[in-house]
Amino acid sequence: MKRFLFLLLVIGLTFSCAQRKVTTSKPGEAQPPGGVTAEQPAEETPGLVKEPEVSEIETTEVAEAPAEMKVPEEEKKEVLRDIHFDFDRYDVKDEDKPVLRAIADWMIDNPGTRLLIEGHCDERGTSEYNLGLGDRRAKAAKDYLVTLGVPADRLQTVSYGEEKPLCTESTEECWAKNRRAHFVVLKQEAGE
Amino acid sequence: MDAKRTALYGRLLLTLAVIAASFLPALHSTAEARVYIDITSPGFRQIPVAIYTLSGAGAGAEISDIIRDDLQFSGVFAYVDRDAYIETPLPVFDPGNWSPLGVEIVVKGSVSVDGDRLSATIYLYDVVEAKRLFQKQYKAALRHLRPLAHTISNDIYAAVTGASGVFRTKIAFIGQRDGRKGIYIMDWDGKRLQDTGVGGDLILSPHWSADGKRLIYSAARGRRWYIFLLDFKERKERLLVRSAGTNIAGDFLPDGSGFLFSSSKAGTPDIYLFDLRTSRQRRLTRWRGIEVSPSVSPDGKRVAFVSDHGGSPQVYVMDIGGGNVRRITFSGNYNTSPAWSPQGDRIAYSGRVYGKNQIFTVAPDGSDPLQLTDRGNNEEPSFSPDGRYITFTSDRDGARGVYIMRANGEAQKRITARDIRAFGPRWSPKKIF
Repeated sequence: MKRFLFLLLVIGLTFSCAQRKVTTSKPGEAQPPGGVTAEQPAEETPGLVKEPEVSEIETTEVAEAPAEMKVPEEEKKEVLRDIHFDFDRYDVKDEDKPVLRAIADWMIDNPGTRLLIEGHCDERGTSEYNLGLGDRRAKAAKDYLVTLGVPADRLQTVSYGEEKPLCTESTEECWAKNRRAHFVVLKQEAGE
Repeated sequence: MDAKRTALYGRLLLTLAVIAASFLPALHSTAEARVYIDITSPGFRQIPVAIYTLSGAGAGAEISDIIRDDLQFSGVFAYVDRDAYIETPLPVFDPGNWSPLGVEIVVKGSVSVDGDRLSATIYLYDVVEAKRLFQKQYKAALRHLRPLAHTISNDIYAAVTGASGVFRTKIAFIGQRDGRKGIYIMDWDGKRLQDTGVGGDLILSPHWSADGKRLIYSAARGRRWYIFLLDFKERKERLLVRSAGTNIAGDFLPDGSGFLFSSSKAGTPDIYLFDLRTSRQRRLTRWRGIEVSPSVSPDGKRVAFVSDHGGSPQVYVMDIGGGNVRRITFSGNYNTSPAWSPQGDRIAYSGRVYGKNQIFTVAPDGSDPLQLTDRGNNEEPSFSPDGRYITFTSDRDGARGVYIMRANGEAQKRITARDIRAFGPRWSPKKIF
């Protein structure tokens, strides 16, 4: 191996020295135009035209989403209300605890149901962290409902971060509306 | 390392370089290596370059403009205007015509179009060393004029700096246009935008594999966030992570054996490693807060990520096994979206200053934080494969678009059209597909 490397070294040095003699010239010293323009065999550029298509990707089907259960409108409006959070916080506010109490009671009265809790954020954070924050908001709501006696296996969470705003203006009023946990009732048999 | 040894290593490297150069006659018409300019030195001065309008009607002018734009954006070259050239555009070269202008590199050549075939011959001259650096011919389908021009830029860049250019790299991002949201791929300069057809209202930043043949990304379909792998060769999407909760794809490991992701399947978002060979998942963090956005170091040994462990989102670094956790951002109370540079010496992130998100870079030990942007919200940084440039999103001019800049914050420019809202750009590796 060492011998081979040495041989390479010798060949390499010889070759490069020979090259140097031909091409070296002092800065500022004009070379005869003929010497510089001597045509050499042109090379093909390898792989240049390979520009594969990236369109028409075959997408994968995923399991169908659990169906939403029809709930009377007034129950939706009066019981299944959004709860709200402060900027970059995920603790349930005291003012929202009665809302969760009412939702827990409703769940206990409607045993054939599952609840999906969506966590949402305003647009000001960055999207991945907001998904994490939305997760924690949904989990905070879930944990509170569990303490009120709702079985954990009837509660499911998902985060939408800043991806599904209720309100799209860049105002504090709008942002406050978007920082929410939203409740969707699912049919019992759907999902896992 | 003492001075003597450094000198010895230097000589050894030089010898190896000479050997390497002498074995590349097929690639370079002049075998002798130029004394490369150290483009990383702080005292680096831009190299004045003259670029002739290549002969050959429209295509010639178009290619010369692309080369000029590439070299100018690189920050390595300073373009000297064509009005100053006194030499004939023919492939003859007299350094005496250029030294008075301060020009150090000269690009000449011709382009011909035959039906749908394009061919170009390029001559590159070095004024300081008074010699031709190369003469090369390039061929491509006419519709691949831009990649042909970028290939010429790469060759010029390599001949002068000794480093390989990124002018044929791409940027993948999430775009929203005419109500359709999905993964788009474009050239690094924003041209030749392609719609992959993979989309949905809820889809997140794609991450490239090191070989450039695959992307991973998250999408919510049916009230759950799944992680998918897209293989460009098969042109197919594969479902990889289907756990309950929010699953967000992070970086591929450098060796392609797996990738990092965050998942809330165990209750709160934590960092996991997915092994593509075994489909096994390993949990790396076990905190009760939010841990998201993992980015791996180029040696595959460390992970930068975001945690709210200390009360606000901050960037942390840990070993790939999950140990040795250290916080590296201390200024401000909202630092997210870390991205490790391919050279390993910097981590870019988005930090909140006066209510707006800005791009910063910091050393992996938390020293020397540098703010690079200051207008509008600037988010989701990603380094070019040579670490010299950063792509990111900004809303400084209204709708959120993809921007690029040099890694020191210079030459910031928007590269996507105003009718596309853009998110999560990721710069490809050097070789793609």
